[in-house]
Amino acid sequence: MSGVVFRAMLLALVRDRGALAMTFLLPAVFFVIFAMIFAGATGEQLRLKLAVADELDTDLSRRLLAALAAEEALLPVGSGLAADEVREMVRRGTADVGLIVRADAEPLGSVGGFGPAPLLIVSDPVRGVAVAMLSGQVQKAYFSALPDVALGSVVDLLENEFIELSDDQHAALEEGFAELGEEASEAVAAGQASAWGFQDLFEREDVAGKAAAQNHVAYYAGAVAVLFLLFSAVHGAISLIEENDSGILDRILAGPANIDVLVNGKFLYLTVQGFVQIAVIFVIAWLAYRIDLPGHLALWAVTTLVSSAAAAGLALTVATACRTRRQAQTLSNVAILVLSALGGSMVPRFFMPPALQQLGWITPNTWALEAYIGVFWRDETAVDLIVPWAALALAGVAGLFIARRLARRLETS
Amino acid sequence: MTASPVLEVLDARKSYGEREALKGVSLTIGRGEILALLGPNGAGKTTLVRAICGRLALASGSVRVSGADPRASLEARRRLGLVPQEIALYPELTARENLEIFGRLAGVERRALGAKVDEALEWTALEDRAHERIDRLSGGMKRRLNLAAGALHDPELLLLDEPTVGVDPGARELIHDLLERLCRRGLAILITTHDLDQAAELADRIAILSDGRKCAEGSLQELVAASFGGHREVWLTLTNPPTASGRELLTGAGLTAASDEPLSWSGPLAGGLESLAELGSRLAAAGLPVAELRVREPGLRGVFFHFTGRELGLS
Repeated sequence: MSGVVFRAMLLALVRDRGALAMTFLLPAVFFVIFAMIFAGATGEQLRLKLAVADELDTDLSRRLLAALAAEEALLPVGSGLAADEVREMVRRGTADVGLIVRADAEPLGSVGGFGPAPLLIVSDPVRGVAVAMLSGQVQKAYFSALPDVALGSVVDLLENEFIELSDDQHAALEEGFAELGEEASEAVAAGQASAWGFQDLFEREDVAGKAAAQNHVAYYAGAVAVLFLLFSAVHGAISLIEENDSGILDRILAGPANIDVLVNGKFLYLTVQGFVQIAVIFVIAWLAYRIDLPGHLALWAVTTLVSSAAAAGLALTVATACRTRRQAQTLSNVAILVLSALGGSMVPRFFMPPALQQLGWITPNTWALEAYIGVFWRDETAVDLIVPWAALALAGVAGLFIARRLARRLETS
Repeated sequence: MTASPVLEVLDARKSYGEREALKGVSLTIGRGEILALLGPNGAGKTTLVRAICGRLALASGSVRVSGADPRASLEARRRLGLVPQEIALYPELTARENLEIFGRLAGVERRALGAKVDEALEWTALEDRAHERIDRLSGGMKRRLNLAAGALHDPELLLLDEPTVGVDPGARELIHDLLERLCRRGLAILITTHDLDQAAELADRIAILSDGRKCAEGSLQELVAASFGGHREVWLTLTNPPTASGRELLTGAGLTAASDEPLSWSGPLAGGLESLAELGSRLAAAGLPVAELRVREPGLRGVFFHFTGRELGLS
């Protein structure tokens, strides 16, 4: 008996060519895209966009930066930048991470000293892992490109401190080591770094500052919100197919209302539903994680409205392009997962190969996340947000227009 | 029928690629009149109804609802109500909510909506179920509500597609009663149905479509007279398909074969019951073994067979 049910299910799938293709073909496409994204995330194809300012502008600094530029894992952006320009590029996301060779610091190659580190890494907390990656690359470049500096500084140290030591010096050294041990123990007990040791090669500066730490969850709120916004919008838009199947569409279209009335009404509903859905997520983020929603309410509201409109337009396009509920569900699931993966809802986009990062700009997720990050991390103004807002609004309007065109065939079918 | 019909279809033609779905169909329905549209599957009934709703462009010919083209005129479509075969209601919504929504979509003014919904719930006897979800109502109640949602806005023309399919006899009678009341209120009603008993019981006139053409139209009595000329209907079923000479004999006796079943033949029994024995003898002599031979008063079933060559409609 179960075999009969199996046969019925199989025949239903085989007869629905669209669903058949989506069941077996799209997952293959999906796998290829995901493989590219997550293979990129292992680091093999990862290229961090690096903005550099060389305040020192010496032979040493130029050699170090040339070695960094030759690294495959780094993609230099901009040239001849000032320190503030680097900070701005990182803040805007045009660079994943920045490096400033500081003039007013310990000289590059010095071993001792307690002044500011010669190198400053500028990062956006959204891309925190980029700091660790750049640190590794800088150290690699330093010891491989500047071996004379690295070794010379150690020899200087040996000559200055350890060569041709007298007995008195031995005694003094032992005394010094003992003292150092005590200091280190005291420092550890006090929760501080040891006051003695090699000069740090670099320090780290976050462009968003301390306030952003409270809003750290805003990134995830945005990512999750956009992903589920798309799912629920598609679920709502599929009601159009159900209405066609149930005769409701026939009844409505026999009256004065046309298909545009129906599609417009659904677009409006899905936009409002999406707005409320995102609001719920951000209110939780505000109450539970202290993101500053009240302080950014107006910009958040506009971002949420245009994001919801974009999701509604996309969902209606999917629903009107498909003839059956099964087609629509399969297509939408795949489309949403691909868009969300490309758009950074699952893994930050800078982990991806550069080509996929560029491709991400076609997804509403990317624009919505850019806008939310702009609002909550970068404290951007409405003027700064015009581009992502316009992209999302345009996606919504275009989706609505396409859906209305596609739905015309329902009027005559 | 009044001088100006509510529905007027003139020489409607429509093709889908090579296939001609309508080959010049004309129909009229006046106020307070019920017309049943019969036809085998693929005859063109759905295409005709869609053309009447203004949902497809005819290749030639015209459709007028109260004088206006429903494809071009919103006013014409406001005068039209459709009751689909499916329960075309939102199952999660209550009876009242459904009526409110479809009333508004059909063009009922917001201020008049409450009274219209009350009225519809009253004449479908669903007042006490107004606040129940559709998916909790019985099949008969859903059918009544399906009808009410199509007639709520006081259309002049009501189109119904199989309005009683799948309901029990009691619920069917209730639907018929509602339709007769709507008819008395002056609505023009077009019913497409496979239920010949329903058509015979309700319709003032019956039109039969076959292969995109209207092959007959008239009252039941007129159609019976045209098909059987006042004679009884003879129906015979052969055990084997007839030979060429056998077909000649049957055709000569005024019988017609079913287009899709060469064993079934029907026609008027011209010579009365006395001629039945003679027909049997001639069939036996021609080597045509008969499995069943029946004589009956002609009805719509025989009429349908006569015009389409097919059997239709067990209610």
